[in-house]
Amino acid sequence: MDGLQVPMEHVLGLASLLFAMGLTGLMVRRNILFVLMSLEVMLNAGALAFVSAGAHWGQPDGQVVFMLILTVAAAEVSVGLGLVLQVQRRFQTLDVDNATRLRG
Amino acid sequence: MRSTELLPFVVYFAAVILLVATMLGLSWLLGQRRANKATNMPFESGVISVGSSQIQLSVEFYLIAIFFVIFDLETVFIFAWAIAFFELGWAGYAAIMVFIVVLGVALIYEWRSGALDWGQKTRRGLEGAPPIEETP
Amino acid sequence: MSGVNWWAIAPLLVLSGGAVLLMLLVAARRDTPLSWITTALILAAAALSCLPAREAIPQAVTPLLMADSYALFFTALFAICGLVTVIVSHEYLGERHGENEEFFLLVLLSTLGAVTLAYANHFVALLLGMELMGVSLYALIGYPDKLELPLEAAIKYLVLSAAASITFVFGFALLYAAVGVLDYPGIGAALASADNPVLLASAAMIVAGLGYKLSVVPFHMWTPDVYEGAPAPITGFLAAVSKGAIFAALLRWWMASGLYELPGLLTLVALVAGASMLVGNLLALLQDNIKRVLAYSSIAHMGYLLIVLVACGLVADPHLAKEAAAYYLVAYSLTSLAAFTLLGLLSRASGSKELASLDDLTGLFWRQPGLSLLFTVALLSLAGIPLTAGFVGKFYLFSAGVAGSLWGLLALLVIGSAIGLYYYLRMVYRMTLAGDAQPAAVERPGWPARLTCYGLVLAMLYLGIVPGPLMEILRTIL
Repeated sequence: MDGLQVPMEHVLGLASLLFAMGLTGLMVRRNILFVLMSLEVMLNAGALAFVSAGAHWGQPDGQVVFMLILTVAAAEVSVGLGLVLQVQRRFQTLDVDNATRLRG
Repeated sequence: MRSTELLPFVVYFAAVILLVATMLGLSWLLGQRRANKATNMPFESGVISVGSSQIQLSVEFYLIAIFFVIFDLETVFIFAWAIAFFELGWAGYAAIMVFIVVLGVALIYEWRSGALDWGQKTRRGLEGAPPIEETP
Repeated sequence: MSGVNWWAIAPLLVLSGGAVLLMLLVAARRDTPLSWITTALILAAAALSCLPAREAIPQAVTPLLMADSYALFFTALFAICGLVTVIVSHEYLGERHGENEEFFLLVLLSTLGAVTLAYANHFVALLLGMELMGVSLYALIGYPDKLELPLEAAIKYLVLSAAASITFVFGFALLYAAVGVLDYPGIGAALASADNPVLLASAAMIVAGLGYKLSVVPFHMWTPDVYEGAPAPITGFLAAVSKGAIFAALLRWWMASGLYELPGLLTLVALVAGASMLVGNLLALLQDNIKRVLAYSSIAHMGYLLIVLVACGLVADPHLAKEAAAYYLVAYSLTSLAAFTLLGLLSRASGSKELASLDDLTGLFWRQPGLSLLFTVALLSLAGIPLTAGFVGKFYLFSAGVAGSLWGLLALLVIGSAIGLYYYLRMVYRMTLAGDAQPAAVERPGWPARLTCYGLVLAMLYLGIVPGPLMEILRTIL
C-alpha cells in the first residue's frame, strides 16, 4: 500500500484514549444527552480500533465491522433519544440525578 | 515513519503559531482600548441579537432527526453493494432487494402510524387517546 | 449462497419474516388482539420449524451462523419463552390504552436476537444478536411510558447495557488486532500460538462486557433496579431469554475456540462465579422487595452456571459440562419465567398495581390459593428443592463440578443454596401467615395466562420428577 502508513499500535493507542475519554464522560456527566454522546465516542473508538486492525491484517473485515457498528450505534441512539424525550416529558429535566426513585 | 518526513509539518505548525501570535500580540500592544457600552455589539454587519439562544424547538424536529439517523445509515449498505455490483451478481441483487423491501415496509409503517404527519397534534391510530402534549 | 439448505435456518427466517409481516399488519390495521394472536402464532411456528430443520443440520450457513443441534435446541427454548411472555403480556397490557401492538413486535424482535445468538459462530453474528435483543429490550422495559419507574429502569438499562456492549466490542477489536480472525474456530487456532500483551487487556474487557450482560458480581449493580422497574412479564423475559441467550452464545464460543484451555481466563471466571454466588445470595437476604430478592437470586444463579465454564477446562470430556449447562438453562428459564409471570398475575389479582414489598405477601395463600400454590412451586424450584426442575439442574451442575474437582466452588454452591433456601422459604412462610382473610375484589386472570402458568409449573414438576427424557435428548444432541 502506498501513502502514509500509520502503525497499528499508534491507532490502537488513540482508540484507547478515545475510549477512556468516553468512559470518563459517561461517569462524570449528569445530563443524559451527554451520557449518550459519551457512549457514542466509546463506540467509535471501538470502530476505529477495528478499522486499524483490519488494515494491519490486510482484510476488509475491519471495515465491514465498522459499518455494522455504525448501524448498531444508530439503533441505540434512536431508541436512546426516544427515551430521552420521554424523560424530559416526565421529569422536566435531563439530569439523571433527578431519577432516583430506584435505589442503587 | 522517519523523523525527516515529519520535519516540514513541525516547521509549518510552528510558523502558523508564530504568525497568529504576532498578529494578536501586535494589535494588543499597539491598539487602543475602549470600554464603551457599544464595544461588544455587532458593528455594521449583522443584527443586534434578541432573546436567549436557548429556544425550545418543536418535538417534531427531534423525530425527523431520529429518522435521519436511521434512514441515512441504510444508504451505507446500498453503496457498499453498488460498488461490488458486478461481482455480487444476481445473489447480491436479491439480497439488496430484500433489504430495500424491508426498508420500504418500515417506511410504510412510519407513514401509517402517523410519524410523518407534520404539525398534526393527534397521531393516527391514537384517536380517542389524549393528544400528545408539546414540551413547554 | 447456492447450495445452502434454507431449512437449516428456518426458525430465523420465520421470525424475521414474521416481524416484517407483523409490521405491515400493524400499519394496515391497529388491533391489539389480532397482533397478539399473530405474534403468538409466529413464535409457535418458529419453535415448530426446529423439527424440519433437524434434517438439514449440521451446516455452516455463511461463516457467521452455525446451524447444529445446539442452535436448534436453544432456538426452541427461546421461542417458547418468547411465546409464554407474549401470552401473559396480553393480560398485563389489558388495561393500558394507547398503542400496544408494538409491544408484541418488540418481543418478536428480541426473540429473533436471542435466536441469532444461539446460532452465532462469528463475532459479527454475536454483536448483531446481542444488540437486536438489547435494543428491543430497552424499549420494552420503558414501554409503560405513563409510569416513572419503568422509564428510569429503561434509561439505566440503556446506558449500562450499551456501555457493556461497547466494552465488549472494544475488547474484541483488541483481540482482532492480536490474532486477525473473527470466527470462533479461527480464534481458537490463533490463540493457541499467540502471545501478546494486548490479549490480556482484551480478555479483561470481554469478560467485563459479557459479565455486565449476565449480571455477575462485580458487574451486577444494574440488575435489581432494572428488575424492579420493568413490567413483570418483561422482567421474566429479561431473566430467562436475555441471560440465557448470552450464556448460550458464550458457551458456544467457549467450546468452539477452546477458551477453557487458557488457565488465566479460567481463574478469572472461577473468581467471578464464586463472588456472584456469595454476594448475590447474601444481598438477597437484605432485601424487602420481592422483585429485588429475585434479582439478587438471579445473580447467584448466574454464578452457579459459570461453574460449568470452569468445569469445561478441568474435565476430560466437556460434554457433561455442556449438558449440565443446557439442562440448568432450561430449568432456570422455565422457573424464572413462571415466577415473574405469577408475580405479575398475583399483583393484578390482588387489586394493587404491583406486589412490591415482602409484607404484601402476608396471607396471600388464603386470598389467592390457586396462584399462590403455583408461585410456591416456582419458588421451591428456584431454591432447588427435590422433585422440581431446579433441583435436577443443580444436581447436574454439582456432578459437573465434581468431575472437575472444583471443591471450592462446590462448597460455595452448597452455602449459597442454603442461604437461598432461607429467603425463598421465608417468602413461602409469609404467604401462609393468617392475614386479612376476606378476599378482596378478586379479578381472575384470563384463561390463556392461567393455562400458561399451569403449563409452566407442570413442566417444572415433570422435569423434576422424570428428568430422564430431557437428559437423554441432551446426551444425544449435544
